[in-house]
Amino acid sequence: MNTASPKMLQCSDMTVLERQNACLKWQQEQLQQQQQQEQQSYFSELSGVFSSQVQGFQGGLVSGDSVLGDMVMTRQVKPDPGLETAWHEMEKVDMAAMGFGPCGYSNGPDFDMNYAISRTSSCPTFVAAAVAAQAVEVKGKESIVSEKMGSTVGRGSFKKRKVDTLQNSKVVAEDDSKRIKACAEEGESKITGPNTNKSSSSNNKNKKETSTGTSKENSKVSDVQKPDYIHVRARRGQATDSHSLAERVRREKISERMKYLQDLVPGCNKITGKAGMLDEIINYVQSLQRQVEFLSMKLAAVNPRPDFNIDNLFAKDVFPSCATNFPAVGMSSEMANNPPYVQFNPVEQVVSSCGLEMGINSLDMALRRTISAPVSIPYASFLDSSCFTQIQPSATWDVELQNLYNVAFDQEGSMPFPSQPFTGTLLEKQNWGPELI
Amino acid sequence: MRPPSSLKQEFLKKWITGLQRCSSSKRNMSILERTKAIKLSADVAMASARNSTTCWSRALIANASKDGSDGKHLVEQILGLESERLMMKKASTGALVCNKRIRSKKILKRSCRIPRTRKCVPQVALATSIAKRMVRKRTQVLKSLIPGGEFMNEVSLIEETLDYIISLRVQVDVMRGLAGVSELVNHN
Repeated sequence: MNTASPKMLQCSDMTVLERQNACLKWQQEQLQQQQQQEQQSYFSELSGVFSSQVQGFQGGLVSGDSVLGDMVMTRQVKPDPGLETAWHEMEKVDMAAMGFGPCGYSNGPDFDMNYAISRTSSCPTFVAAAVAAQAVEVKGKESIVSEKMGSTVGRGSFKKRKVDTLQNSKVVAEDDSKRIKACAEEGESKITGPNTNKSSSSNNKNKKETSTGTSKENSKVSDVQKPDYIHVRARRGQATDSHSLAERVRREKISERMKYLQDLVPGCNKITGKAGMLDEIINYVQSLQRQVEFLSMKLAAVNPRPDFNIDNLFAKDVFPSCATNFPAVGMSSEMANNPPYVQFNPVEQVVSSCGLEMGINSLDMALRRTISAPVSIPYASFLDSSCFTQIQPSATWDVELQNLYNVAFDQEGSMPFPSQPFTGTLLEKQNWGPELI
Repeated sequence: MRPPSSLKQEFLKKWITGLQRCSSSKRNMSILERTKAIKLSADVAMASARNSTTCWSRALIANASKDGSDGKHLVEQILGLESERLMMKKASTGALVCNKRIRSKKILKRSCRIPRTRKCVPQVALATSIAKRMVRKRTQVLKSLIPGGEFMNEVSLIEETLDYIISLRVQVDVMRGLAGVSELVNHN
């Protein structure tokens, strides 16, 4: 709770800074144009800036644009009427203080104006106090106004920063409904907690940004009065009771899982929508299951006994090489006790996509070497084969490979090597079609 | 997530032990019997590689070791002590959880039958209902595909699908490699 307000202020500071910079730049242009009436132009512009700031907030509310450029535009329009009304305000406001107003809390790079102001002002000491007071005032106003703007207006940098503050600081909701929403979101973030923080936070950010993006600009006016970030998230016309909230959380979970599935199932990138995705998933699962059946039939056909004469295979030094290559496929990072699907990173994709090729390639290489080269194949040359370049081997992998390779060498029998040169890839032979039996 | 290499290795080891054990029991098997044995041992090995962390693996092993089926001995042999642990787990938690889920779904269905008054444009309602029906059909099909899928809600169904797809892929890779190697060996 305490962390929320300074962060809000920081947000508002940044936006104010940006606005300040834009204002100052515009003011400099104005200065160059109106060099005749220096003093008057300074004060008028200052007053114009100041008044336009105050007016600009209200103007921003009305105009409904939170993007900085647009605000600059409005402010460019404003000061002309602002100039006229400025003199009235100048009477009320201390001019020197006003002069320091912009430079008091603007740390922007355009300081020429500020130096000019410092030259013209006469009493800096109690100006500072006044400036501080005003700065606080203005900041307070701005924070409230920025909240209002954020709640009424539906897009832009405000939104993103507020999403960040909401994520970083668990906002204390003022109403029960808001608390429920916060809890739902917290719960959601906790559920996705076991995921890597980066992926979950990015996912959350994306989700929340999309949800805020979909919230329409013309949200109800009643939302304006409550300075609350969670209202930004509520879509228009949607109930805020716990049922629909829970449902929304559930739906978002499902869509997140569907995204993982999209990465996993090939050819799903173009398909949006649940039904099509489910179709593809069903087809893929069915095809994989059919593959397993065909392969088991093929294995049964090839071998007279189900144990495949494994001793012979081991003796031929071909089988263990394919078994040893499997650790090469693996990754060095291991997660413990997480649900298996969770760590679905691009690395896994790479592995799973090239795992097959690597397995086959390794078999291929192993067979070629057993055919052509003598038995004492150097360990290093085997490692240098191209299929290992994609994945960095870890230290444990080296040790494993070496051990298994030594074992394989020990078990080698006197079986003759296959004489046929093995040229084609194994994949060509893997047509699990009717040629089996 | 376990790296796929260790998954493949584990699957391979368990599968080979299973095959050896099942070949030791019967000497002469027809090709269909062998197919079944191979597939069964592969599936059981795959499921046990998950160490019963996922629902589908438990369901698969449970189905394989049903009383009166061929696979029971196989499962017991492959898993050994693990099978007893799995059976204990299943008996205690699985049935209860499944029954709870079924009951809660029935309650939900009954509550949904109570008509809700909605103000919808009829065209929109039609489109959404059609879409919902399509999605429901497909989830039904998916549930039938994945072992033990009937008892899951949507979210866990998708998670299980993910895991199942990964393990199926591993299975296919290993089997394909083995098939290629053994074919080559047997040609010469």
